[in-house]
Amino acid sequence: MTQVPKGIIDKDRDPEQLLVLLKEAQDKAGYLSEEVMAELAESLSISRSEVYGVATFYSFLSTKPLGRNVIRICQSLPCYLKNYQTIVESIEKEIGIRPGQTTDDDRFTFTLTNCIGACDKAPAMLINSDVHANLTPEKISQILKDYK
Amino acid sequence: MSSITIALNGSEVTAAEGKTILEVAQENGIDIPTFCSVEGLSPTGACRICVVEVEGSRTLVGSCHTPITQGMVIQTHSQKVIETRGVIMELLLTSHCGTCYMCEQANACKLRAIAADLDVGLPRFQSKKRFYQIEDISPYIVRDLTKCILCRKCVRACNEIAGKNVFATGYRGFDSKIVVDFDEVLDKKVCRDCGICIPHCPTGALSAPVGITEEKKATPLIIRS
Repeated sequence: MTQVPKGIIDKDRDPEQLLVLLKEAQDKAGYLSEEVMAELAESLSISRSEVYGVATFYSFLSTKPLGRNVIRICQSLPCYLKNYQTIVESIEKEIGIRPGQTTDDDRFTFTLTNCIGACDKAPAMLINSDVHANLTPEKISQILKDYK
Repeated sequence: MSSITIALNGSEVTAAEGKTILEVAQENGIDIPTFCSVEGLSPTGACRICVVEVEGSRTLVGSCHTPITQGMVIQTHSQKVIETRGVIMELLLTSHCGTCYMCEQANACKLRAIAADLDVGLPRFQSKKRFYQIEDISPYIVRDLTKCILCRKCVRACNEIAGKNVFATGYRGFDSKIVVDFDEVLDKKVCRDCGICIPHCPTGALSAPVGITEEKKATPLIIRS
């Protein structure tokens, strides 16, 4: 059992705050563990299933532990047409994991995401909250070096 | 409440303000198929099978969640509506498991009855199916989510009638699923002595466990032509 870090649940109890509270909880604890979600459900007087439903709907919330850096490659149409698949392959080669996985040293979690609003600079990806655009397979290893 | 006059399939109809197109149609003896609508529970417009044509509207509208307005001109069974309902039915059947002959609920299945009514055979579309393990450890409810069409009736019945909030919709897109707690198997810890959701299910996704000595057959399905 992981310990729920203190200070996660300290807001006024309004069920409509659920999404904000989930985001805060994720920022503090790294991911949304069952303990955190159960505590949130109880303090907001809503069901666990409702909290879980919201947590699993949004792709920027995670119910599984994440690595220190999260790579999100855009798979929407403009990036698709600009061969995002070659970017996915070069990242797979660089860090040795497939989308949906986390490296053994917890340095990277690698996922695909939908549009991140950088269509004019497709193909694009997010690492944590930094946008990297106009990607080519050659640029990848240089970009990844900055994330330890 | 003031009353409103609308044109329903060419005839003038007066109904109270605030009613939905579906309610007015039912009052006037017009049969619109529905899966997700339940009288008295909040509408969701999840299944889309109840669409009707409203003059001036860019798209067909869901009749179960669209309130009538003054002067509305509605067609509930135009050719466009019937064709669209047929395609919606095909889409519902595409991700439904589709093995009626293996299903205990086949004779009581609303999905099957309306598919027959709309004269929809095998869907034209090919898609992977969602297969889930049957959840039969609860003594009150057997859940087979492979058959679920995500109408969310069970969610609303549980929230609004039973007040237990056991179910919610989890995940997104094709992976959407009606979840219990943190996507756990339905057991008697979270849900007991109720079963309100079972008769609301339009498919065989929710059913009452059948004891070995009980009669298994439901009443025979009578297919209207």
